[in-house]
Amino acid sequence: MPTAHSIQSIDFLTAFSESVLAYPIVLSIHLTCIALFGGMILMTNLRLLGLNFKGVTITEMVITLRPWKRVGVIVMIATGLLLATSEAEKYAPNPFFWTKMVILGLLGVHGLIFRPIIYNRTEELDRSPVIPTEVKVAAILSLVLWTAMFTMGRLIAYWEPN
Amino acid sequence: MLLQNAIADTLNNTEWAFALAECVHIGGFAVAVGSIALVDFRMLNLGLRRESSAQILRYTELWSVIALLFVVFSGIALFLSQTEIYRVNLIFPIKMYVLAAAVIYNFTVHRKVATMENPPPVLSKIVAMVSLLLWVSVVFGGIFTGFLV
Repeated sequence: MPTAHSIQSIDFLTAFSESVLAYPIVLSIHLTCIALFGGMILMTNLRLLGLNFKGVTITEMVITLRPWKRVGVIVMIATGLLLATSEAEKYAPNPFFWTKMVILGLLGVHGLIFRPIIYNRTEELDRSPVIPTEVKVAAILSLVLWTAMFTMGRLIAYWEPN
Repeated sequence: MLLQNAIADTLNNTEWAFALAECVHIGGFAVAVGSIALVDFRMLNLGLRRESSAQILRYTELWSVIALLFVVFSGIALFLSQTEIYRVNLIFPIKMYVLAAAVIYNFTVHRKVATMENPPPVLSKIVAMVSLLLWVSVVFGGIFTGFLV
């Protein structure tokens, strides 16, 4: 993989992956984001499913947590990019890594589909006496995709080329 | 001892058991730390301000307790599968002390202040910051246990 090799040979990335402290610190930040913002995503989805936070409006759940989730996703992607590119040769042939990237793409598609019909119309949802089916579908899909995301993330470390 | 061997054997010899235990561990701490962080965010006035922190705590507490149990049990299984490694690890005991501190703090000081009727805003904020700091340290401790052997 000449491309992967040249990516990880960028001076800055080589120094990063060889550093005793930098790599685990960035990985810890990556996981801290999973904890802080994964928790928020879970709780928002539980609200959409009507399983928790029943006294809190969907609007408040979605709107007040949105900026933090955005920060979380940006930090997660930035640290993830650093972790993957610094060991590009290891990641390039790894099927778990690419599965994870596909799931990341699917989460983007999830947002494109459901943002206009759910996340931007929370006030309508709060007025509705029952939670519509498409909202529950969106919440369950989000939970499944995020669970698959962190599972793939962990499994990346288990794959070895024959 | 027998139980320890049984768990160790399963996790070391079944290809996916160790990975599965790790995934449960990660998923569990995401739920536990994430739901506690939601209370902290409320105490810091960073979200869900229409509710009191006591209400947010009531919504999240059961989730954090159950998730913590998953984290602890999967953690014990991971520990028992390679006790020799953890015994000589420099970071692991520190992680355990910080974890103990975080758990005790969460169910004493943190809970007390989160459920106070009119806590001084400064007190709420400090208590929430310490809570976030403790839990984030536990996550860092977990990663560093794996890296600095």
